[in-house]
Amino acid sequence: MEKRAVFKSWWLPIVFALPQLLLILCFFYWPVAAVVNWAFTLEPPFGGPAEFVGFANFQEAFADPFYWNSVVVSLIFAIVGPLFAISIGLVLAIAVDRQLPGSGFFRFLYILPYAIAGPAAGMAFRFILSPERGLAASLNAMWPDIWNPAKYGEHALALVIIIFIWKWSGYTFIFLLAGLQSVPRALGEAAAMDGAGPFRRAIDVQVPLLAPTLFFLLVTMMTEGFVGADTFGIVHAVTEGGPNHGTEVMVYRIVDEAFKGLNYSGASAQSIILIGLIMIFTFIQFRFVEKRVHYK
Amino acid sequence: MIQRTPVANAVTYAIMVFGFILLIGPFLVIIAGASQTMQQVNAIPFSFLPDNQFLTNAAQAWKRADLGTAMTNSLIMAVLVTAGKVALSAFTAFAIVFFRSPLKHVFFWSVFITLMLPLEVRVVPTYAVAADLLQPVKSILSLFGGIQIGIDWNLLNSYTGLTLPLIATATGTFLYRQFFMTLPDELAEAARMDGSGPVRFFFDMLLPLSRTNMLALTTIMFVYGWNQYLWPLLMVTDPSYKTVMMSLRSLLPADNGTPDWNVTLAGSLLIMLPPLIVVGVLQRWFVRGLVATEK
Amino acid sequence: MKLFVLKTALAGLMAATTLGVAPAFAEKTKFEFWYGLSGDLGDRVQDACKKFNDSQSDFEILCTSQNGYDTTLQNTIAAYRAKKQPAITQIYDAGTLDLMLSKAFIPAKQLMADNGYKIDWNNYFGGIANYYATAAGELQSFPFNSSTAMFYYNVSAFEKAGIDFKPDTWEHVEEAARKLKAAGFECPLGFNFDTWPLLEQFSAIHNQPLATKANGYEGLDTEVVFNKTKFVDHVKFFKKMQDEKLFVVKTKQLGMDIVPAFTSQTCQMIQTSVADHGTVGKTLPEGVKWDVAMLPVWKGTERKNSLVGGASLWVMAGRPAAEYKGAAAFLNFLAQPDMVQWWSTVTGYIPVTKTGFDAMKANGFYDKAPYKGRELAIASLTYTPTSENTRGIRLGSFTQIRKEVSTSLEAIFMQNADVQKELDQAAERSNAILRRFEKTYAGQKLN
Repeated sequence: MEKRAVFKSWWLPIVFALPQLLLILCFFYWPVAAVVNWAFTLEPPFGGPAEFVGFANFQEAFADPFYWNSVVVSLIFAIVGPLFAISIGLVLAIAVDRQLPGSGFFRFLYILPYAIAGPAAGMAFRFILSPERGLAASLNAMWPDIWNPAKYGEHALALVIIIFIWKWSGYTFIFLLAGLQSVPRALGEAAAMDGAGPFRRAIDVQVPLLAPTLFFLLVTMMTEGFVGADTFGIVHAVTEGGPNHGTEVMVYRIVDEAFKGLNYSGASAQSIILIGLIMIFTFIQFRFVEKRVHYK
Repeated sequence: MIQRTPVANAVTYAIMVFGFILLIGPFLVIIAGASQTMQQVNAIPFSFLPDNQFLTNAAQAWKRADLGTAMTNSLIMAVLVTAGKVALSAFTAFAIVFFRSPLKHVFFWSVFITLMLPLEVRVVPTYAVAADLLQPVKSILSLFGGIQIGIDWNLLNSYTGLTLPLIATATGTFLYRQFFMTLPDELAEAARMDGSGPVRFFFDMLLPLSRTNMLALTTIMFVYGWNQYLWPLLMVTDPSYKTVMMSLRSLLPADNGTPDWNVTLAGSLLIMLPPLIVVGVLQRWFVRGLVATEK
Repeated sequence: MKLFVLKTALAGLMAATTLGVAPAFAEKTKFEFWYGLSGDLGDRVQDACKKFNDSQSDFEILCTSQNGYDTTLQNTIAAYRAKKQPAITQIYDAGTLDLMLSKAFIPAKQLMADNGYKIDWNNYFGGIANYYATAAGELQSFPFNSSTAMFYYNVSAFEKAGIDFKPDTWEHVEEAARKLKAAGFECPLGFNFDTWPLLEQFSAIHNQPLATKANGYEGLDTEVVFNKTKFVDHVKFFKKMQDEKLFVVKTKQLGMDIVPAFTSQTCQMIQTSVADHGTVGKTLPEGVKWDVAMLPVWKGTERKNSLVGGASLWVMAGRPAAEYKGAAAFLNFLAQPDMVQWWSTVTGYIPVTKTGFDAMKANGFYDKAPYKGRELAIASLTYTPTSENTRGIRLGSFTQIRKEVSTSLEAIFMQNADVQKELDQAAERSNAILRRFEKTYAGQKLN
């Protein structure tokens, strides 16, 4: 931060920063303040005076087994999804980094899924992985109901996580490839001199050097899986939280509770809990980002 | 490569092909399905070979989901979000990096915190604010002295409403900030020596130098804007403002049981195309933007 | 302060530009109507709007589908909060109490009186009007698309399976299902997790309460009791039938909902709204014989009237007076006998007024093939005078309660959860929802 700051003017920076600050104030801080307000009252759907109820909305959420269900679903989503996305990205990055002829072509393609919005991908995967057609149909013909996301919560959860992994593997790939390419080539060559094969080199030399990138990805991907736009979009477009709350992630529950259940206050209380959780995530992330800055 | 490693090379290719099937396979299914007839698309086993029905299917999808309107709206929305972001973030980053001002830290932190809370968690009250933008002002006024103002400024069903809340995050600011920090001190010093003020420095020096960054930011913001889902879903009730992501639902085969997934897939493909093109054609900048914003 | 000045200035600018875009002068008063019907039925609403616009030159109604009942309620609330509500909105049965306590609407009677229309409010069928009226009997909204649940069965399949009786009791339904199964039909009866026929209509015709306090009509401190009534046994019966593969779950998520399952002759019996009568008639292949009956009862039950379903039209408060003139004109237009008949004919909805029904009966409408059977819906609705358990359901956040019940049904039928335990849980959760609703509207009384 302490870098230059050459110009001295008290009003110019304000003028320059004002537009964005105003927007952030209006659409960020003010709503966050409103969430706090609503979380402690009972906001009537059509507006009007709201009664102060203290922590009742929080107690209600904590006493609700389906709330805890959504916490568990979110955690599974936010752990399994990122782990697979990062692993796939890592394997592909190491492969592409070997720069064999033609790997540029693959590098070009791998990023493409990232361009697709979660809901749009969800729509396509509803077809691709639908139990009554394609590969799944053959499997179901052999073992009835071995894959039926409409019926089993676990299958549905697997389905939405697969879509998440599909979309984000390209993203982790990009970062890991960038990370690999910043590893001094000499290191790998030295290892090669020692007679280490490509696999050994990947595991012993490259992966450890990628640790910061991997950690950064883990945190961002987990945040993304936890509260990201795609998490909501995929669940909303593919399963609507069902069957029987099987894919009801926390964000979906909040939006559903507020806009379908007309329970703005309960949803606000749940938002606050979620905000708390993200703060913890971000704290970790920030500590890390700080370190990264020193790295450079 | 110094070593000859035929086995390792074979494994590497196998991995890359596997990645291709995994990540690009779904696109091939979509393309194949979108160009088949309804009978073909529902056949077991599914044929991965495209047929020649794409235009028919696409035309039907276009009509069913009113994609003309939706595409136009999404385009407008994506462009506005992108333009707003690219411009405003540059201003803020300039204010943060190049001025010695006591407010600098306030700016930085107030922008930084927005990275933490995505729209999804604060969507309920954000909606309320969009419904009445002056609500904050009103509340503050009525808190101090009970003044009431009667104007309502409503953003629902408007392009402003679709875009402003999405511009209100920090992503771009940090991209510029990082870039500005890499510039040599002498640059600004020289500008100051020249006697050209900060404003001229910003427009004449800084912005032209930031061209690549802008392009990078443009690509990611366009994709971000185009792919918005929850926000339009909530705030648009007037069909003339609906966006492509909202049309997805109407693309699904109708309830009466005709499984015309070929039409659904053709429509989805049309919706996926613009961001795909951006990411495909401008990949260099896109990747650069991604890695640089780190988010 | 600077901040504020800037924002006001900006606001002024915006206001000015918006005004500039709006047509400066309009000869017709335009007003909005939001509806939840979509697909074929949605197109019919558009037809109705067009008919109204063509019939006079003072007003223009702009009709917008919100693609679903729940989204219409959602969007109406959102729009009301934003002061952008439509003049008329179509709210389904389950949202009735949410609207009633909102103070966000103009009562039907008041609207028509204010705009000089004389309406014979007693002309509405009691079973229909009571659902949308206060406990004292004042209609708050306009019954529009009204229906009730019917039992549809495939007569051709029945004949093939050698069934020579009508599915009028559940005992008969079971027997028919067994015979159909024996005759090789894979899905004798298809059902989904819609609580409307399974819970609500079942409870009414079997004279079972859904909730205390006369199903909520007598106070916000009502509690659901469906986990202690015959409904529990009924679910257990369904479960047993499902286990024997006589009743089959058919939902959209599983690939096909019940109506397409019936029209594709996959399933031979279903319970669904009379509103589907038109669709079923149109979609079933020529030559397939089918019929509708009143919902079956358990043997020995004294049948009561069934509940009205569908939606009613609410006139939202806070619009300019001129729009209310138009709204009143539109609602009056819909209530004209020829419109009532047209609407009933092109959809499957029942005529909501006695005169409308009588006129159609006199025309011989119900004697002819495609419409024959629809009169049974009226018969079902008016089977007995309404009583505590059959007047309607007046529960707050009823949408959520329905969802709780259908989720528990999902658990019972898809994941083999225990019937009593699941329903107890659904009841407990529903009561929590009711308590929150009561607290949200503390101090308000049902009148």
